[in-house]
Amino acid sequence: MEMKTASVISTSLHAAVLLWAVVSFTGKTFEVTPAESLPVDLVSEKDFSEMIKGAKEAPKAEMPKPLVEKKDEPKPAETPAPKLTEKKEIKATAEKTPEPEPLPKPDPIAEKLKKPDEKKQEAKTEPQPLPPKRPERKQPKFDADKIAVLLDKRDPQRNAATGAELNSTLSLGAPSGKASRLSQSETDALRRRLMALWNPPVGAQDADSAQITIHIRFKRDGTLEIGPQVLTSGSGARFNAMRDSAVRAVLVGQPYTMLRPEHYDDRDGAFGWKELEFTFDTKDMFHDIPLR
Amino acid sequence: MNPADVAQSVLPLTSSDLSLFTLFWHAHWIVKTVMIGLLVCSVWVWAIAIDKTVLFTRTKRGMDRFEQAFWSGQSLDELYRTLSAKPNHSMAAIFVAAMREWKRSFEGQQRSFAGLQMRIEKVMEVSIAREVERLERRLLVLATVGSAGPFIGLFGTVWGIMTSFQSIAASKNTSLAVVAPGIAEALFATAIGLVAAIPATIFYNKFAGEVNKQAQRLEGFADEFAAILSRQIDERG
Repeated sequence: MEMKTASVISTSLHAAVLLWAVVSFTGKTFEVTPAESLPVDLVSEKDFSEMIKGAKEAPKAEMPKPLVEKKDEPKPAETPAPKLTEKKEIKATAEKTPEPEPLPKPDPIAEKLKKPDEKKQEAKTEPQPLPPKRPERKQPKFDADKIAVLLDKRDPQRNAATGAELNSTLSLGAPSGKASRLSQSETDALRRRLMALWNPPVGAQDADSAQITIHIRFKRDGTLEIGPQVLTSGSGARFNAMRDSAVRAVLVGQPYTMLRPEHYDDRDGAFGWKELEFTFDTKDMFHDIPLR
Repeated sequence: MNPADVAQSVLPLTSSDLSLFTLFWHAHWIVKTVMIGLLVCSVWVWAIAIDKTVLFTRTKRGMDRFEQAFWSGQSLDELYRTLSAKPNHSMAAIFVAAMREWKRSFEGQQRSFAGLQMRIEKVMEVSIAREVERLERRLLVLATVGSAGPFIGLFGTVWGIMTSFQSIAASKNTSLAVVAPGIAEALFATAIGLVAAIPATIFYNKFAGEVNKQAQRLEGFADEFAAILSRQIDERG
């Protein structure tokens, strides 16, 4: 029958196509190039406008330049190499060395005759020239500071530490990061900590924007010098509850170790934190914490 | 973490290579059934297509040859004698059926001319119907596969995606490396459905048009032949 041959043809055709497909259809893997993660700061509109207002005339804050490992100057590691003789000892040998010279150069017969005498003589002279003859190697003194150098198995010609160049890789950054410094500032860390600790009273989120501004005076070690002063005035049970919660947050959070002591008095810089005013805002609490 | 590393660490859990065979082998058994069914459909569709193509070209050639012989001025009795010896199709079959009826009417003792015209027409109609039926046999399979194939494939896909989502939920990992093999598997069913359905639809449309054309040609011949016989009846009667 005609249909039978047609079926055979069709089946073989499909088999051929399938075979071809099995051979050719292989999922190629996409080449994934790892994307560079970009540091992103969220700046609210209010913060942005304030930033522009304030920053125009301000003196430039000098950022501390990160140091780098110096290159191209191989410097052998210090080893307690044996030092050569000191002057004193050399002098001592200079005095004594002439001694063997005056020894006469006797003829063999006389020598033989003299032998018993010479032996005596030698016995006499021997103790004198020997000690100074070899400038003795001074035994390396045990030095606890140099143990580390001895134990150091690295190549002595490695790059010496700390140069003046700018480092291309920051210690805390990504291996291929491009930012010159980390984005999170100390104020940012402080803000995060305070907002995390702040536990506003129930119902505070109903208020449109309840703000409590608090004046904080720090000591150098990050604790409070005096109790937090509330600058915002108000009345009512709700305000009192809000104010107390803010004060509590400030008190609980100490010591504020994220504030670096070297910036404590930094008046003109960005980080002077001897006295700070901090605003607790319910908007920030219940929405997103803005980064400044 | 590096996305490439994540992919590397996750891939061995699912399937490292996405060849056609692994796609099939990892699928759920329902999806496998759907795939095999669609493959069989595709094989059947192509078998029908090959068969019909051969049939239509042969029928066309046969009709051409018959018409040439018919209009060559050859005696119809002689033509009937040569054709009736072997089984015939299409136009020749119609001619033979009509001639047989004609002969039978003259061979008997009493000549019955009264209904001869009608009888001949009826006989020719029946043989045309038979011929058309032969031409369009199995064409409905093409129509069915063409319309239902994508849906069957889609069913396999939906089922496969359902199971793959279940496995995602079980592994608690939503990275693309986990999701992709299951979805590729599921989409494979739709691909086979389309592979089966697209040729089926095209072939169905083509063959339906062909059947129409050939049926028209047969009817035209039947009318012409009926007219010739009718003139003969009137002349003899």
